[in-house]
Amino acid sequence: MIKEFTKGLFKENPIFVIALGLCPTLATSTMVINALGMGAGVIFVLVCSNIFISLLKNFIPDNVRIPAYIVVIASFVTIVQMVMEAYAPALYAALGVFVPLIVVNCIILGRAEAFANKNKVLPSILDGLGMGVGFTLALTLIALIREVLGSGTITLPGCVITVPVISIAPMRVIAFPAGALLVLGLLKAFFQYKEGRK
Amino acid sequence: MKNVIIIAVKLAVICLVAAFVLALVNGITAPQIAASKAQAELDALSVINKAGTIGERVEGDGAGVNYYFPVTDGGKVTNYIMSLTSMGYGGNLVILANFKTNGEIIDAKLMEDAETPGLGKKAENAEYMNKFKGTGADKPVPVKKTMLESADADAVTGATITFTGVSKALEYGSEFAKKLGGQK
Repeated sequence: MIKEFTKGLFKENPIFVIALGLCPTLATSTMVINALGMGAGVIFVLVCSNIFISLLKNFIPDNVRIPAYIVVIASFVTIVQMVMEAYAPALYAALGVFVPLIVVNCIILGRAEAFANKNKVLPSILDGLGMGVGFTLALTLIALIREVLGSGTITLPGCVITVPVISIAPMRVIAFPAGALLVLGLLKAFFQYKEGRK
Repeated sequence: MKNVIIIAVKLAVICLVAAFVLALVNGITAPQIAASKAQAELDALSVINKAGTIGERVEGDGAGVNYYFPVTDGGKVTNYIMSLTSMGYGGNLVILANFKTNGEIIDAKLMEDAETPGLGKKAENAEYMNKFKGTGADKPVPVKKTMLESADADAVTGATITFTGVSKALEYGSEFAKKLGGQK
């Protein structure tokens, strides 16, 4: 059972191994704080949608399952958005555009289709948690590299660390979307190489 | 045929339940959101108003100025604080800005935007507006990157559309302030 949780962390990491959810990865990995906020949103929506899709798997007719999943996922995202705007306006202001993006994050639809609609509730929760945490770890790693090299800072909740030397002349290209692709590609190659040597 | 009806009914039930839950959450959060927006505007008003008393809110022209507040000092209108709208990269920008009656920009703050974090969203920082301060009357509002000092121009690189949106709104507000010219 615990394997359902740990597989998402490394062995089937959504970004580096399954290569799901790359679009928000490129967009939100400019700052560490954005990666953490996006990760938290994805974990919440992924766990909730996995629970409900697993519960409803016998109710949802097979030939309209995709629209049904999208309705469930979009509802949770809208709830997250409204609650965040009401009770955490600072986080909402920082993440504004990315919250609705969670709806089209293919990790969530992918796990609904590949896992939750075939499994019971508890494994689905663990799968959602593992995949969500794996996504957050990978996203934060990319964001850390991009922010240090691209802006010379590390933005954490409540404080900003300025990296000496780099902050004087940061590599601006790393902060742009092209830099995100470069970093992601190099990291994927690195993990592939590590995996291949085992 | 019967199968199609069952599918349609099931999908409709899912949508109905989702709509009901969303309405419920909206009912709880909407007053809280409205209150925090009003509070944010009050805070911003007190920051960008340097001197004088903020008067009654007046409706704008519906084009670029949403509404404005005349600021009086000793019975005479000295400034206008305006809520301005323009297009940014990710959607509408709402800017609260303080103008002298001759169109000079005193201070401004980006209130609402949907810009990219790390790029256009930097316009929310108070320092971003420094390059506009003092322009609008003797000096023109910088609406192109070539009108900026090189350090400022570097700072808007990667977010040119945001810069254009902010500067156009401020230029429009400056002209609007000149047109009002001291009237309430």
